[in-house]
Amino acid sequence: MIGVFTLIPMVMTFIISFHSWSMFTPITQMHWVGFENYRTLFDDSNRMQAIGNTAVYVFLSVVITIPLGLLIAMLLYFPKLKGQSLVRVILFSTYVIPTVAIVIIWSNIYAPGYGPLSTMLQAIGIAPPAWLSDPSWALVSLVIFNVWQMLGYYVILIVAGLTQIPEDLYEASKIDGAGVIRQTWSITIPMLSKTLVFVLLMTFINSIQVFDPIYLLTQGGPAGSTNSISFEIQRSAFSYGLAGESSALAVTLFMAILVIGGVAGAIVKGRRK
Amino acid sequence: MSVFVPVRRKATPKSRVSRVIQYVLLAVIAIVPLFPMYWLVISAFKTPNEFSQVPPTWFPVVPSLKPLFTALTEVPFAQSMLNSLIIAGVSTISVLITSVLAGYVFAKHRFRGRDLLFYGVVATMFLPPIVTLVPLYYLVTSMGLSDTYLGVMLPWLANAFGIFLMRQFIMDVPDEIIEAARVDGASEFRVVWQFVVPMLKPAVVTLAVFMFVYAWNNFIWPLSILKSEALYPVVLTINRLMSYTMSFQYQNVVIAGALVASLPTLLVFLVAQRVFVQGIASSGVKG
Repeated sequence: MIGVFTLIPMVMTFIISFHSWSMFTPITQMHWVGFENYRTLFDDSNRMQAIGNTAVYVFLSVVITIPLGLLIAMLLYFPKLKGQSLVRVILFSTYVIPTVAIVIIWSNIYAPGYGPLSTMLQAIGIAPPAWLSDPSWALVSLVIFNVWQMLGYYVILIVAGLTQIPEDLYEASKIDGAGVIRQTWSITIPMLSKTLVFVLLMTFINSIQVFDPIYLLTQGGPAGSTNSISFEIQRSAFSYGLAGESSALAVTLFMAILVIGGVAGAIVKGRRK
Repeated sequence: MSVFVPVRRKATPKSRVSRVIQYVLLAVIAIVPLFPMYWLVISAFKTPNEFSQVPPTWFPVVPSLKPLFTALTEVPFAQSMLNSLIIAGVSTISVLITSVLAGYVFAKHRFRGRDLLFYGVVATMFLPPIVTLVPLYYLVTSMGLSDTYLGVMLPWLANAFGIFLMRQFIMDVPDEIIEAARVDGASEFRVVWQFVVPMLKPAVVTLAVFMFVYAWNNFIWPLSILKSEALYPVVLTINRLMSYTMSFQYQNVVIAGALVASLPTLLVFLVAQRVFVQGIASSGVKG
């Protein structure tokens, strides 16, 4: 089953990426073009912009998610506070809401004028940006609601990792006079490295395929500033019928994941030695 | 789950201050996810006029059911909720069955190349569906299944994450139990059904919730494979509704629809949350 719907399509993606084929015609009309699709891919400013945007989106998502997730997880685990498990459930609940609903509500929260976010910012004297309609803010706005939606999931994974750290380590370091920051740096983070790498990979895989909010909300705009690889793959194939070009981009995405996943794996292995 | 016992300290004024700070932070962490949900709910019950008022009201002054009513009647909303239920329900059941069976084989049977095959399956977890979208579309269409329920569900009837999760949990089931059942003459299917599955409750619940949410929320695949609105899952219907609103002049109809569309997954999650959150946590630890 997985073979049929994963491996065969994967191989087909590679094959199609070397052909020219319009999705609106039978596959028998597909013809060989070699690396042509890849050449046009790297010449096409639209697609290059999509790759750049996706890279920025993934980078921002990761650098916000990991430290923030770690801090929240620590607050939910170390001090004994009432309501921690309730907060955990609340945090996670954003993950189960359909992205379409999240997108709709955030577009209203971001809305200038009647949106609450701009109203709140104005109340404390900050001039709100135009969020989704400003090319330099649109991508950041999308990162914010990606983090908002996914953070609870990662926090739960990190809390689970924290439960695996032997408590004696903290007590021993306390006797040595280590403070919270020192403990976090030399006990929590090293002991948590496996979990953190896992969360990093999940954040990476999840954010590199961002599609729903872009399709629903911005269609890649304004001025291409939120165009992403996934959106470009879907649009090239299903709106323009350019299956070959679309597949070339898909293969590029696949390679990027392979390389970065491999590097992450190698780092983890190197650490273990 | 082990309970962390902090080293007791005397309640100095300093530690009391830090305790207050911790609670304030905790409250902020709860409010940030809750606020947009709150906004979703109140916006759904505002009148169109109140909705677009500047500055916004923080609670509906004149609560109205009209947006909700319009959302439910303007598009075939009930039908699309039913479609989502069918798609998510069947996918979930299928994934549960295939994952338990495959997980059992990977955990408790020895055969040549088993581990290699297992890691092959796990590797596909990291392959985003978008990479294979075009060939998948071609395959399903050439089977004559484009624009059918089966076509929407087919690629998601088995799933690498499910197999991985089940294998990790079934590894913990003691071999003695399985041996004893086999000695008693139970068939392999009965061994799985009567002896293994009951011990997997947290894993089964976790996977079921996960899959249901995933299938309910999946957007790009139904968008690509479906043409007739009669088969649309609710996420596509909301999208359809969104394209109406420019002319309708009231966006809170869409919001009301989004609220209704979110209820099933939220409900499933809340009912199962205790087991689910634990299951997700152990999936991370075991990975």
